[in-house]
Amino acid sequence: MATFATKRATTLAPTVRTLASGAPIAPRLNLAARGQASEHDHDHGHSESSRSDIRPRWAGGVTFSAAGLVSKTVTTVHSPAFQPRLIHTSVANKDAPQVPDYSKYRTDPGSNRALSYFMVGSLGVLSASAAKSSISEFLQTMAASADVLALAKVEVDLSTIPEGKNVIIKWRGKPVFIRHRTQSEVDEARAVDWKSLRDPQSDEDRVQKPEWLVMLGVCTHLGCVPIGEAGDFGGWFCPCHGSHYDISGRARKGPAPLNLEVPAYEFTDGDGKVIIG
Amino acid sequence: MSLSTGIYNTLFKRNSVFVGTIFAGAFLFGVGFDTATTTFWERWNKGKLWKDIRHKYVTDAEE
Repeated sequence: MATFATKRATTLAPTVRTLASGAPIAPRLNLAARGQASEHDHDHGHSESSRSDIRPRWAGGVTFSAAGLVSKTVTTVHSPAFQPRLIHTSVANKDAPQVPDYSKYRTDPGSNRALSYFMVGSLGVLSASAAKSSISEFLQTMAASADVLALAKVEVDLSTIPEGKNVIIKWRGKPVFIRHRTQSEVDEARAVDWKSLRDPQSDEDRVQKPEWLVMLGVCTHLGCVPIGEAGDFGGWFCPCHGSHYDISGRARKGPAPLNLEVPAYEFTDGDGKVIIG
Repeated sequence: MSLSTGIYNTLFKRNSVFVGTIFAGAFLFGVGFDTATTTFWERWNKGKLWKDIRHKYVTDAEE
């Protein structure tokens, strides 16, 4: 039963590493140390029996004299326990002799940089231009073609319209009234206090030239075509529900909520023609 | 070296300036490309275009 005496269970601290056999690793434990040099040794630490990790007596130390404790240190003597502590276990070898020096073969990083970015930017310019062209061409396919645009305009010769007469033409399936107004009609249209009207709009805003009144002949109430030179205000009268428009096409009486609409038009050829649309 | 460094510091160093330069360059390139191709096409087809033969068919008296 001698094995029971040698095998004893112990609890090791968690910081202690163990060998595979279970024995704790104690790397700083100097198992080769010999006993401390004692006062009874008369060789003053020169003998083999002195410990190597304790400095000898002749290198200084604390002595007890009649004056008290005296500490003497000989600084030029290294402690035998001196051990250089290096942060790095290996020193970086910057000039490795086995690696050739390629520095003279390397190009200046700043010399080709502008060219490289220029090539990148050129590709970007071409790509952006191609993308913009593709998108704009695609959007142009949605635009109206030339024949449709030509049909969307009407050209009227104004020289055939005498003063004080109406002309009704067809434009995009709707009637358009063109009236050659007399000067008295213009004065009448401009004398009205237009700010008190149902749809306040001055006569100057509705015509480009005072003698030519161009407007869409669709009643703003329910879309009938008003009758010209009729109504209480000398302009147009809608027979469907009795809306009255004055000589500037403004709603004055009846259910119409708005003035007659003015299309986009322009005069050409020295006022001889008007192009509606 | 100084020219390339100047170009780099002016145009390429900031990405916003770089991208802006690319877009402006794309616009100018598009205009120039259109002009160049149109000029070449009209020179190639000179004599066949309507503006070249219009005087044969349209006289100002008819207008």
